[in-house]
Amino acid sequence: MDFFYVIVIMVGIYVILATSFNFVIGYGGLISVAHPAFFALGAYASGILARDLGWPVLLTMPIGALFAFASSLLISLPSLRVSGDYLMIASIGFQLGLVEVIKHVSFTGGPGGLTAIPQFLVRDYGTVSYVIFTLVIAVAVVLVTRRIVNSDYGRAISALRDDELAFATLGKNAMWLKIWVIALASGLAGLAGAIYAHYFRFVAPEQFEVLQSAAMLTMVVVGGMRTIWGPVIGAILLQTLPQAITFINLPPSILGPLQGLLFTGVVLLFMFFRPAGLIPAPAIWQGGTSAPIDRKGKLDVRGA
Amino acid sequence: MTKLRGSSRRSLFLAATALVAGLGLGGISPAAAQDALKFGLALPLTGAQALYGQDQITAAEMAVADINKAGGVNGKKLEMIVLDTQADPQVGINAVNRLVRVEKVPVFVTGFSGVVKAVAPIANDNKVVELSVGANSPSVAQLGEYVYTTYPLADIDVTALAKYVHKDLGKKRAAILYINDETGTVAADVFRKTFTAAGGQVVAFEAYDPKATDFTGQILKVRVSNPEVVHIHGLVSDTPQVIAQMRQLGLNQTVTSYAAIYNPRLIQSLGKGAEGIIVTSLAPGPSDSPKVKDYVDRWQKEKNREPNGLPYTQYLYDAPYLIAQVFGSLVKKGTPITGESFRQEMLAIKTFDLPVTGKTEILPNHTVTKPVYLMEVKDGQWVRKAIVE
Repeated sequence: MDFFYVIVIMVGIYVILATSFNFVIGYGGLISVAHPAFFALGAYASGILARDLGWPVLLTMPIGALFAFASSLLISLPSLRVSGDYLMIASIGFQLGLVEVIKHVSFTGGPGGLTAIPQFLVRDYGTVSYVIFTLVIAVAVVLVTRRIVNSDYGRAISALRDDELAFATLGKNAMWLKIWVIALASGLAGLAGAIYAHYFRFVAPEQFEVLQSAAMLTMVVVGGMRTIWGPVIGAILLQTLPQAITFINLPPSILGPLQGLLFTGVVLLFMFFRPAGLIPAPAIWQGGTSAPIDRKGKLDVRGA
Repeated sequence: MTKLRGSSRRSLFLAATALVAGLGLGGISPAAAQDALKFGLALPLTGAQALYGQDQITAAEMAVADINKAGGVNGKKLEMIVLDTQADPQVGINAVNRLVRVEKVPVFVTGFSGVVKAVAPIANDNKVVELSVGANSPSVAQLGEYVYTTYPLADIDVTALAKYVHKDLGKKRAAILYINDETGTVAADVFRKTFTAAGGQVVAFEAYDPKATDFTGQILKVRVSNPEVVHIHGLVSDTPQVIAQMRQLGLNQTVTSYAAIYNPRLIQSLGKGAEGIIVTSLAPGPSDSPKVKDYVDRWQKEKNREPNGLPYTQYLYDAPYLIAQVFGSLVKKGTPITGESFRQEMLAIKTFDLPVTGKTEILPNHTVTKPVYLMEVKDGQWVRKAIVE
């Protein structure tokens, strides 16, 4: 049973990551690749505060999340003022730079990683308690996200994504809304990092490389971008499938290439047969109970 | 929300649940022969390190086949469960999680320092022995009660090398060029401390990025510092390039390096530039032991080439022998095989005489002692220069 607990914890962590990433990239339409960096910031901040300063984990976890939340201003403030592609460039820079910083300063453990991060819950209440803890947070994150995207705020975000100029003419401040979207998602990624760090008790810079954002993006795209349940299904599928494959008990010479091809294969298949993901988003934004608005000339995602 | 969307969403959810459940059920591995003695092996089959990982796995597979051909462990079959780690900490955790909790192995072998560290909590929590083979960071000795290494840690060979360079080669000014990762930073530090303590002077201490292909900046700094010897601590993939660029920039000093560089490819790629390079090797070469010669010949015959990272594969070939000896001793005593009994028995046996790496002493302080071989390139061949005990 313990075997499945670890998988469930990983699924929970990736549900948080994929959901928050979808919030930025799907709902917000903001192209950022720095999500793993915020995941790392939460993990390292919480891990270091708990290990080196002896602070209680229950306190360091929210601090880790807040730290990632605040750090996101470093990329969003300068880049969103100019908007568009600049955000992507700034996020690549932030992502690559942060991993380098972690490798070069000594209090993070450098390239060797941060070891002996204090445990949380597991020692006193067993692994099940951590599984429940992770799942409760993951479910809360999904529900809060759903609440937000279905609220007036959510409608504002989608209006901003679809047409920033029109949004601004309504007297709304586009920049602050974008900064807020990125900060919230980054804070959630930081929270996922803190949850990760205190269960696995070891983090290394190589775990937060830029390729991680490709894994998160795959979850979002395969599940269904711009939907609530898409990233959840994507996270479950892409966390369990590679593990399930190892149980077919194939000889190593076949298993190796098969695992290598899996991610690529899944993505290619989806691009051909379900470009909008397992759960396709509605063609246009439908907020709450309002009737579908026919907006001619907009790209139909389902058909794209 | 329309009716259609709701129902299709529900059916999708059901389908996904069924899929996951089906995979879970189908996943329970067929009950292996009850009397087989199992152990795990978690190494990179795919990913950037697969070139080495695959050969290491092949070496371990050869050993298991040989042990079973020779009658197994007290008549019982030795069974090795191989899982891919991609040399990635998270994939490694998944693999070891399965080895420990599903296959319930009392001991598993793993390598590559990121993975070795990441899975250590699993080994300690579940009282399962983790045998690190290949990771050479001295921090491996401090990972916990159940983490042991059969591979000498960096302080052994780099310490021996630094002392030898100072005392026997009489070099007083050394420059150190190292790759900025776990292996490089730790070993460079060990070299610096040992060389300085012996009375030498470290005149340059330069790191380069693991993804770098141009090392001119660092090399020029080394040149300015005017060293008598340059120690390079990188990977087998970048070190030949570093040396080639050094030679181009007119640095003809003696180069020293470590076990990963002890490789016929270095000579192939550098040609004359390789002359005089001194590296450590933590395993005897084909000229030192007939068993190693047989082992290399077997690779030539079966795979038509030498294994990549020969010394590492020698350690991997020997790991199943070490495990088999501990298993055998426990079976003979009638002690049930658990991680705890394995650990105690391994420490009790202490000295193992292994086929292709020779005498190995597993110490209670989680390190291992081995003689260090120093190899030098002479006339396009690796020649043994010295053995440092």
